[in-house]
Amino acid sequence: MSLALDLFTIMSVALGALFFLAGTVGLLRFPDTLTRLHALTKADNLGLGLIVLGLLPQVGSVVAGLGLIAVWLLALLAGATVGQLLAGAVPPSESRQSHREGSRP
Amino acid sequence: MLRSALGRWALLFGFWLLLAGPWDGASWREALPDLAVGLLAGSLATWVSLRLLPPTPERIRYGALLRLASQFLGKSIVAGFDIARRAFDPRLPLRPGYLDYPVRIPPSPDRAAFGALTSLTPGTLAVGSDEKDHLVYHCLDLDQPNAASLASDEALLLRIRFADSAQ
Repeated sequence: MSLALDLFTIMSVALGALFFLAGTVGLLRFPDTLTRLHALTKADNLGLGLIVLGLLPQVGSVVAGLGLIAVWLLALLAGATVGQLLAGAVPPSESRQSHREGSRP
Repeated sequence: MLRSALGRWALLFGFWLLLAGPWDGASWREALPDLAVGLLAGSLATWVSLRLLPPTPERIRYGALLRLASQFLGKSIVAGFDIARRAFDPRLPLRPGYLDYPVRIPPSPDRAAFGALTSLTPGTLAVGSDEKDHLVYHCLDLDQPNAASLASDEALLLRIRFADSAQ
């Protein structure tokens, strides 16, 4: 049972790290500020979620587990809010490859 | 007012307790100064919360809230895989661009919540609003059904709160 939980932890944390890597690769490879923000907000959110999920079987108490989830929720809230604020601060000419598209239903 | 203030204070102070964990290996006497900081932080956060989001007589549909939360969880997983696929692909498949979304939610904390929520769903990032009061989104791939996905999230969010007719 403990071996199964350890395996779960290793797999989940490794997968989480892979998403952090994907976010970083996106940060380096994506063409402009806004597309890079996409990479950071979305990939890191899932990466941290998987790392928290993987660590949950290893904590000693329910309170410590709830604390880990609280950290994830705080990072989620901060990422979504700051991502929006940074995106709003980018002048439209910054995104070179972008073009405007009219409203769709 | 007092009830919602007390409720929010308990929630925020509880959140602080979870994050700070002042009891870790400390006796009560040692944890006391930490707790004082936490009580202050919880009270300040409650004051800010009541200023920014005054309590309303509206009620909450918990079923709709749960549906939104589970849909959000699923979408944020898809969003992470979507970014990973595009970032690791040697051809870097992106078709970025702007999308004007005619939002139905009036300017309010609810609209801000909608912007934050949809910034974590696949391929969309809220940038601001334009002169026609539409929300402007930046999309990673304009070939995806971005507007339809936004509309389904918005419909769910609009269902969460309803006016209490018994008041």
